Amino acid sequence: MASSDVAVSLENVHKTYRLAEPVYALDGVSLEVPRGSYTAIMGPSGSGKSTLMNLVGCLDTPTEGVVVVDGRDVTALDGSERTALRGEQVGFVFQTFNLMPRLSALENVALPQLFLGVGRAERRERARELLERVGLGDRTDHLPNELSGGQRQRVALARALVNDPALVLADEPSGNLDTETEADVLDLFAEFHDAGTTMVVVTHERHVAERAERIVHLLDGRIERIEELEGVGEPARPDPASGSRPGSAVEPKGADSDDKTRAEDEHE
Amino acid sequence: MRPLEHARLAWRSIRGHKLRSALTTLGVIIGIAAVIAFVTLGASLQAGIVGDISPDDQRNLYGWAAEPETEGGPLAGAQPVVSQDDLEEIEEFDEVSAAYGYATVPTQAVSDGDEQVALGDGLVATGPSYVREGELAEGRSFEAGEREAVLNPAAAEQFEENVTVGDELVVTTVGGGQTTVDVVGITATSEGLSPFEGFEASPRIYVPTDPYYAEGAAGIGFGDGLGGDPGSGSEAEPTDDLRYLAVVVEAQSAEEADVDAARDRAVEYLESEEADASEFVGGGEDLEVTFQTSTELLQQLQDILELLQNFIVGIAAISLLVGSIGIANIMLVSVTERTREIGIMKAVGAQNREVLGLFLAEAVILGVVGAVLGTALGLLAGYLGALYVDLPLVYPLEYVALAILVGILVGVLSGLYPAWRAARTDPIDALRYE
Repeated sequence: MASSDVAVSLENVHKTYRLAEPVYALDGVSLEVPRGSYTAIMGPSGSGKSTLMNLVGCLDTPTEGVVVVDGRDVTALDGSERTALRGEQVGFVFQTFNLMPRLSALENVALPQLFLGVGRAERRERARELLERVGLGDRTDHLPNELSGGQRQRVALARALVNDPALVLADEPSGNLDTETEADVLDLFAEFHDAGTTMVVVTHERHVAERAERIVHLLDGRIERIEELEGVGEPARPDPASGSRPGSAVEPKGADSDDKTRAEDEHE
Repeated sequence: MRPLEHARLAWRSIRGHKLRSALTTLGVIIGIAAVIAFVTLGASLQAGIVGDISPDDQRNLYGWAAEPETEGGPLAGAQPVVSQDDLEEIEEFDEVSAAYGYATVPTQAVSDGDEQVALGDGLVATGPSYVREGELAEGRSFEAGEREAVLNPAAAEQFEENVTVGDELVVTTVGGGQTTVDVVGITATSEGLSPFEGFEASPRIYVPTDPYYAEGAAGIGFGDGLGGDPGSGSEAEPTDDLRYLAVVVEAQSAEEADVDAARDRAVEYLESEEADASEFVGGGEDLEVTFQTSTELLQQLQDILELLQNFIVGIAAISLLVGSIGIANIMLVSVTERTREIGIMKAVGAQNREVLGLFLAEAVILGVVGAVLGTALGLLAGYLGALYVDLPLVYPLEYVALAILVGILVGVLSGLYPAWRAARTDPIDALRYE
């Protein structure tokens, strides 16, 4: 798979926390997230989900191994470059929404562009457009505490999308939502995925994970298996980005070996 | 990210905690206001004093005798030692153009015809040249030995129909005696003509020491009453034993050399055997004669003022320091409280320097707002103070600029550490922060 087709790739990634005794949060993880794909990451507490998310989100660097986001090796970047890459190529959606409490919905959505140095008028225009797309065109001037949980998560999604990132990284996006709102927000995820956005959702809830095209199961810092799904709750995609067969539990990357060879060919 | 955007976001968070921000700023406001108010008052006070010294006063030496090393302004600890004879002797010297005594005669009232006004210590007995030509708005100065007077405008305006040159006034002493004076001149200003009088404006009537001081000091009241033959009532008074607390010696010119020469000559004479004053001053005697120009006297006063001002400004500066500690403290609280927001900003692409800039901007805004409000308040307080004490208002504008600068500095200094802490916050921890 050509690097331009890959949003994120991890190669033999280790993350060790040096506490009283070393904690191997990630212990040799390799994974590719193709552009336009919808990946769910599942696993029990302590399986390394958060660490993986921090690495993919350019918030952290691995102890060993390579993390490539949007074609750039994260391990080779300094803090400031990583921040810039994160701002431009990663959109975050959090369980607790994490909106700036004193900024309006519009300003929250425009915030990432503020740090990119985009002009005020242009920022607001873009933010308004996205808020309309998430169905909050009439709530632009509301503060987060004037919005419902579902509405807040829509604002967060709009914010995640504002810079047209390589991927949207959602951490338990529906953890604080009731069932009905959860469905709305997940529908919205599917909608943006259909429009071409790469989605990575970290969750411990099966039904949330099942909205994705594949589920990466983590256990004790390793990928236990990757489960390919028929696009549940969304139309089947004519050309799934992942080349492997749906439903099959496979070794990470192993099933992609054909693709990988091809990718290497294309590199040369 | 542009500075304006920083300011906009920072202003948001300041407005988000109105009361807290207001209280924080209050520390700076009080500090700056205190400094500005006292500096304004000090500058106005100095202008009020310095502004009152006319150049032709510069050759006047104001003298008195007191215990050595008596601290204080003009006439501090002064004792009556210089006799009329001494003054006449001094006036004979080449270096001296005039020498005369200065005394206020205690009075009760002054009347112009039927109208009587109260007058406490406004009758100033002195030499004719004490009222300098430049000070006269009307008429001429009085002559020694004559029953003549020069009024200042404040005294003239006390009467319903302003007193003018040519009028005759009746002065009543504390003892109840009465005497007449012919008004021969009106001065231009109501402020004191010398450091002896002080600088404030008040009603004063200037008369010759002879006969008025002689009569007043004799304690018998003036002359022989209303309409008495001028001079006749005081003929028998023992003027030779009359001593002055305060004397004025005029040098030939305002040149420093001339002034010094006149001073030296006068002191030398007063300490010599020939002088009546020598029983009290010079040699082994207790008292010491001091002659100073008004500039020198003023310098002392200015030194005291400056000392006082520095002292108060120092205290005010401490309150400013406390104010900036307040800002630093509140910024630290703010950083901790907004850890999560910092995490969000960093997650969506805020660089460390931008986070630093945001918190620094907040501290600087607090400092500058405090400085601007403090300056306004200080100027107002200074204005009211100057108005109350009746001083010419002088705004020390360089201090206003300085205050704003100090405000920025206070903001930067007190905001730097908290902002640095904010910038260093790890986004992973911050996002997890509850």
